Amino acid sequence: MIADLRNLNVLVLHPRDSDCDDLIQQIIRIGCNVESLWPLPESLPGNVDVVFVEIREAISPALGKLLSQRPDKRPTVIGIIGYENPSVLQGILDIEVQTVISKPLRAFGVLSCILMARRIWLAQLESHKTEEKLKQKLEHIQMITEAKFILMRHHNINEKEAYKIIRSHAMSRRTSTIEIANAIINADGLLSNLNVSK
Amino acid sequence: MSIRKNGDCWKLGILFSETGATAVIEKSQKNGALLAIEEINSKGGVAGLPIMPVSYDPGSIPSEYGRLAEKLISEDGVSLLIGCYMSSARKEVLPVIERRNALFFYPTLYEGFEYSPNVIYGGACPNQNSVPLASYLLENYGTRFYFVGSDYIYPRESNRVMRNILRQGGGEVIGERYLPVTAVKEDFVSILEDIAETKPDVIFSTVVGEGTINFYRAYYEAGHDARKVPIASLTTNEAEISRIGAKAAVGHITAAPYFRTINTPKSRRFLQSYARMFGSDEMVTSCCESAYFQVHMLAEALEREQSLDIERLREQLLGSTWDAPQGKIKIDPDNNHTYLHSRIAKVDDNGDFIVEREVRRPIKPDPYLVTPDLNDHRFRLREASKPVRAS
Repeated sequence: MIADLRNLNVLVLHPRDSDCDDLIQQIIRIGCNVESLWPLPESLPGNVDVVFVEIREAISPALGKLLSQRPDKRPTVIGIIGYENPSVLQGILDIEVQTVISKPLRAFGVLSCILMARRIWLAQLESHKTEEKLKQKLEHIQMITEAKFILMRHHNINEKEAYKIIRSHAMSRRTSTIEIANAIINADGLLSNLNVSK
Repeated sequence: MSIRKNGDCWKLGILFSETGATAVIEKSQKNGALLAIEEINSKGGVAGLPIMPVSYDPGSIPSEYGRLAEKLISEDGVSLLIGCYMSSARKEVLPVIERRNALFFYPTLYEGFEYSPNVIYGGACPNQNSVPLASYLLENYGTRFYFVGSDYIYPRESNRVMRNILRQGGGEVIGERYLPVTAVKEDFVSILEDIAETKPDVIFSTVVGEGTINFYRAYYEAGHDARKVPIASLTTNEAEISRIGAKAAVGHITAAPYFRTINTPKSRRFLQSYARMFGSDEMVTSCCESAYFQVHMLAEALEREQSLDIERLREQLLGSTWDAPQGKIKIDPDNNHTYLHSRIAKVDDNGDFIVEREVRRPIKPDPYLVTPDLNDHRFRLREASKPVRAS
């Protein structure tokens, strides 16, 4: 992870003043690719891994729009702060930065700041992925269970046998048990609707 | 004009130890600085005023460097300083220098990963010396390495870099040991036994100061032959070799930007001038040369700026070049470090470093390089131009 720092594309969203220049110079020394934009762009350039952005007492709506809420669509975000008052602190929370760096900027600390932010970002991304996977898995289990109950009801069989039927259908049609379960649930819904309209 | 001279002279604070574990090398650095000052003053000084050294002995104790830097600035009114050998000492000075906005010259190789606008770095970082040394050793001695180091930041970080480079070239580290900076001969006994048992092809030493002399002597006395299995180092220098003695030192390898045996007009003039001032040029080291060129480059910047305004002096220094004893060098405006030459030398029967290989052009410093690339063409070595003893 330390060795990968040099491959990062870094974007600095901050007015071009001496603080901004010091930060950019240090990022260049570290060896990352760096670009700076001000005023805020409409959208982030492609391939941005890390964004440094100034967090002030009022967060502009443009900034909120710029950084997607979805963890997998969002770069690592590091807030640049000049104050530590509650308004700015709230901004840090609202923007959901991975870490902050304070002004006046010093060269020392930028490297560990990027590393920390990156580590937290990666951990968040990983847990987001795991969460998505678990959600999907849960949905599948629910679907299969429902399909099993339908079969059990219609054919007067036990759960094990119901699952066997689903699985053998999936295998003979070269598809997944989920799709078979889905088909059974749809068919059941359709048939019961037909019953009603009779 | 915003001249803020120190009365009728320019004061330069000097922080090199005369006593303690790293006194040998630091004395050579101090002499380098004093020699430069003497040369500048004998030519009329800077803007008609002499440079006056104000010097204290921190006794090789890191916290003393910080305390004395503060004293130099607050009591002696100094705003330009040169000094420090160990990284642990520099780390003590750094906050003082930054808080007081002074300008600090650090003429020593170190492990990199630092930048302060208030420091000008005159020694090599790992990309400037580790890669050439590793490729030379892999080519000429073999792939099995044994690491011995003093226990502080530089050796540990330097070994991390070395291990990484070696792995790229198919090398392996078969042993790694650390000793206190104050290690005496007996402390090396168990390490030497382990070396005898594991039979490495090369020993890479990051032992510094007095420990170096003890280590090399103990290695010789334990019956090891450096011509077959040398100790390679980035820090072992002429001053230490002269203490170790030619007999025990022959065959060992060092990588550095400068060696006393470099036979160029500029190097010869430097050595003659040094010998005139200090009696002999035996103690001249690459760190001494670095202190020497740093003071000269500072004087040139002062001459152009004629002021102690730190921001303006820095602007003068960044990007400036100088024809140093090692060859042409330049302060890199990107990171305040210095473009340096890279040379590999072996100790001959007389106890002199003979340059075996060198990199064609000065290497750009890259202090934040995590893993230097062994095959980087910029680090390619060539046979050294005919090595002749300069005297």
